[in-house]
Amino acid sequence: MVEERRILYEHLDVPDINTFDVFRQYDGYARFEKAIAEYQPDDISKMVMDAGLKGRGGAGFSTGLKWSFVPKDIEPRYLCCNADESEPGTFSNRYVLEKNPHLLIEGILICCYAMGIETTYVYIRGEFTLGKKMLDAAIKEAYENGYLGKDIRGTGLNVDIYSHPGAGAYICGEETGLIESLEGKRGQPRNKPPFPAVEGVFSKPTVVQNVETLCNLPFIVGNGVEWYTKMGPTYADTRSDPPTPDPNTGTKLYCISGDVNEPGVYELELGLTCSELIEVAGGLRGKEVKAVIPGGSSAPILTHYELDTRLDFTSLTLAKSMLGSGGIIVMNETRNIVDCLLNIMKFYAHESCGQCTPCRWGTPWVRDIVQRIADGNGRKDTITRPKFGVAENGRWGDTGETEEIYEDLDLLESVANNIANVDTMTWNTICVFGIAVSWPAVSYLRKFRPEFEATIREGKLVTLPIAEATVPPEENYAYQQRFVPKEFADLEQPSEE
Amino acid sequence: MAFIKLNDLEIEVEDGTNVVEAARQNGIEVPHYCYHPGLTRPANCRMCLVEPHVFFPPAGAIVPDRQLATGCTTVLRTAPPERKLDGKYDFIVYTDSPRVKKAREDILEFLLVHHPLDCPVCDQAGECDLQDYTYRHGHDKSRYLEVKNVPPKKDLGPDVLLYSTRCVVCTRCIRFAQEVSGTGELGLINRGSHDEIDIPRSHDGVPIQVLDNKLAGNVVDICPVGALISKDFLFKSRPWFMEKANSVCSGCSVGCNITVEYKADGVYRLKPRFHEDVNQHWMCDDGRLGYHYVNSDDRLQLPLKRVDDELTPTHWADALSVIQEQLSEVEAENIVVIGSAQGTNEDNYVLQQFAHEVLQTTQLGLFGQLQGEEHKFPQFTIEADKNPNTAGARTILGSANGNVVLEGDALWEKVSGAKVVYLVSGAPERPLNEAEKAALESVDFLIVQDILPSEVTQLADVVLPGTTFAEKDGTFTNSTGWVQRIRKTIDPPGEARVDWEITQQLAKQLGSEMNYHFAGEIALAIAENVPDYADATHQNIGDAGIKLADNDQ
Repeated sequence: MVEERRILYEHLDVPDINTFDVFRQYDGYARFEKAIAEYQPDDISKMVMDAGLKGRGGAGFSTGLKWSFVPKDIEPRYLCCNADESEPGTFSNRYVLEKNPHLLIEGILICCYAMGIETTYVYIRGEFTLGKKMLDAAIKEAYENGYLGKDIRGTGLNVDIYSHPGAGAYICGEETGLIESLEGKRGQPRNKPPFPAVEGVFSKPTVVQNVETLCNLPFIVGNGVEWYTKMGPTYADTRSDPPTPDPNTGTKLYCISGDVNEPGVYELELGLTCSELIEVAGGLRGKEVKAVIPGGSSAPILTHYELDTRLDFTSLTLAKSMLGSGGIIVMNETRNIVDCLLNIMKFYAHESCGQCTPCRWGTPWVRDIVQRIADGNGRKDTITRPKFGVAENGRWGDTGETEEIYEDLDLLESVANNIANVDTMTWNTICVFGIAVSWPAVSYLRKFRPEFEATIREGKLVTLPIAEATVPPEENYAYQQRFVPKEFADLEQPSEE
Repeated sequence: MAFIKLNDLEIEVEDGTNVVEAARQNGIEVPHYCYHPGLTRPANCRMCLVEPHVFFPPAGAIVPDRQLATGCTTVLRTAPPERKLDGKYDFIVYTDSPRVKKAREDILEFLLVHHPLDCPVCDQAGECDLQDYTYRHGHDKSRYLEVKNVPPKKDLGPDVLLYSTRCVVCTRCIRFAQEVSGTGELGLINRGSHDEIDIPRSHDGVPIQVLDNKLAGNVVDICPVGALISKDFLFKSRPWFMEKANSVCSGCSVGCNITVEYKADGVYRLKPRFHEDVNQHWMCDDGRLGYHYVNSDDRLQLPLKRVDDELTPTHWADALSVIQEQLSEVEAENIVVIGSAQGTNEDNYVLQQFAHEVLQTTQLGLFGQLQGEEHKFPQFTIEADKNPNTAGARTILGSANGNVVLEGDALWEKVSGAKVVYLVSGAPERPLNEAEKAALESVDFLIVQDILPSEVTQLADVVLPGTTFAEKDGTFTNSTGWVQRIRKTIDPPGEARVDWEITQQLAKQLGSEMNYHFAGEIALAIAENVPDYADATHQNIGDAGIKLADNDQ
């Protein structure tokens, strides 16, 4: 049984931890004081790089590497804290904001010190009214106690934090969409490059970090890199020769929802498997696991054959899915995959910002096709056409066999792939919203095709038994192509002999 | 210069050129909607996707880049020596690879899912990028079975209609209103597939601001599809039935390069034509919609002479002999010849030559449209001088030794004492003030050459029907010294004649041997006799125009 490892959430349930005084009693701002007393800004950047901290917002990009792209000679630079937590199935930042906002402020202070930043914008999801209220109160307290403002603790460090509420758009969680929205424009992502690290808020270098990423900084500084890297696996990146370490260190706030007995946020070390996580969350509600969404609604789905996949950035990427924001949704045998896809596609069709062509008109089209199938209006005249191949006479031609074509399913896959191709991982859109749409669409269809076919045949939603509904591993493209990474420590041993 | 491999071509382009322009310079089309050379580049239509090839170190080879790139934002620059591809190329890009073709097909399919496919009733058909690219790069069938969005048709302003169903949301019009006119009336409302272009409205749909600026007509030109339509041209003609001639706008002294689109029965519309130094891609609505007088039913079609205090139609021979009679009785110092800032350099040169050689008067004047208002926009200026050729007429009329070109009060003072005045106008709707009217009334015999009945023709003893800019060849000189060609499109109405031909006919009547056959011949004479215009022959001017040497230097 895997145990919870509470780091960020350690003092979450302490009464009044949201107040400055109580937070101080639990090491609050001590890590920041240690940072400014013991380390130079560059040391902090190096620690973050060495700790192998990966961005917790969704892309899993190395935080240290991102910081290294920021030009140091352009003033001013900005920090943008992304608290627009809008991925369906994700709700971890919300707890930090509502219960322990000073932790975020401390993380921001460390980041600002390391990067020489004086202005921070916290872009909070508009629906988080309580979160914003708590954060604003905490910011006020921090100003009053001299941890924000001019010349903090007599060190000459100036940091200002402004909280800015969003207006309810999913796409404003995309870093450049967020920046546009922050600048007062329509929340539409920008073309990249230039990346925000070079040209972000008001065309100045900007570090955009998720709440959870920033909350990790006090612990890296406070407890040291060595302590931090002991948590979570470090894999070997075999793309380079010799293999380089690929750290998936630290803990992750897994938001688990769906058919489990005790849904909620669990802070665990990275690298546990799907089945282990379901155990932690009080076990499955229902008989069998039908499917698991591992990283928010945009992540490709995992079937019950793939439950041994480790839930960390590298393993899930190599399993053709992603950890994303860590929003895990478990589905039991009663769930209908067509219905689930319809739900998700309705969300994405509604949230497409409409800036670029494929997404603007592709996402509603995909939704409409799934809707039609779910309504029982999927084209029933499934074509039975001659199968061409090497015939009995040894020549190319009609083999005498026939194959069934479900036109709407092929159409669905084709349209989704035209927005963003999941096989080649190329997209024709400006931002990755395109792939966030086609990933679920194509993976649900390919992994649970029998259920889609049955729905079209029967003319109504049909929930098949799990064994029948799931495409077996030998026909499952992702299962075939998946690659389980080796730990770096294991790899090194043979070379030593 | 950057050395580029574009498909199988090896080309050199200026640093900073984007792929779309580099391809266009080499005769290769990269389809695009949102990109416009005069505006910023949001790269939102995704139509101009191209395939860059990059060096991939693990393979040690040049391979297609993982993602396609938008040609409009891919800027070509000289690479440092160690970054050269294949040792010599600064960039390798393919615009015709299978991946690119597939991407174009896919984008076009998306663009057409909600499109009403109403080409048969659409004004843009024939000059529509959506239509053309679909023919060249698209599918022949639609796979879309669902319900189409039908956003409403909207009236955006005095001359612009929006057929929202046809819109591809490229946002060119929005960017134009923000960047070029700086008026910002347009914006996007709603989100996702419900995106619509609109003007600010109250909750009841009542416009708060309408698209009513003097550059508004340009949004119709830059709209790549049939969404933004000019009310002035709506349902008038199919584009392919019209002939086109490159010309210059006669609305003000900017001298915007235009294309006159016409049929035998008249001018149908004016469109701006790119000129880097004069008007970029734009023109104003005063010029664009100001052509209607050319087609007017009121145009002067026959010479008129005053019989019993009434202007009566007559024929050319009679009109000319009446004038000859009058002129032969008057001494040179009592004659004033007034050229027009609306006329071409050629018209004014012949007029000047007529005055100098035949009438032997040195008293010349310059007449033209009244001063208007100057309008300044962030990237465009409409000038106050509403004549296309003030600079040219002034120089050319005064080009012979001894000629004095009078303007304003000095001119009207001179006119007051004159016995015969030969006034060439050509300005549509030119009101006269009291002083001008009094001066012209005092003249014994007033010859007016004009295009429309006006306050000037009412005072005339003989009226000669002239021509507009659309009916003659010639050159205009704008306020910044650009000499540019105008071209004959339609025939003058009735018996009206080109202005310099009338003047030359009059000269012949008076015994001169002046004998020009066409405007280009006069331009040669100008080039010979007017120092500034030494290079300004029609051959040299072409479509681009030539700039006169700066007088200050």
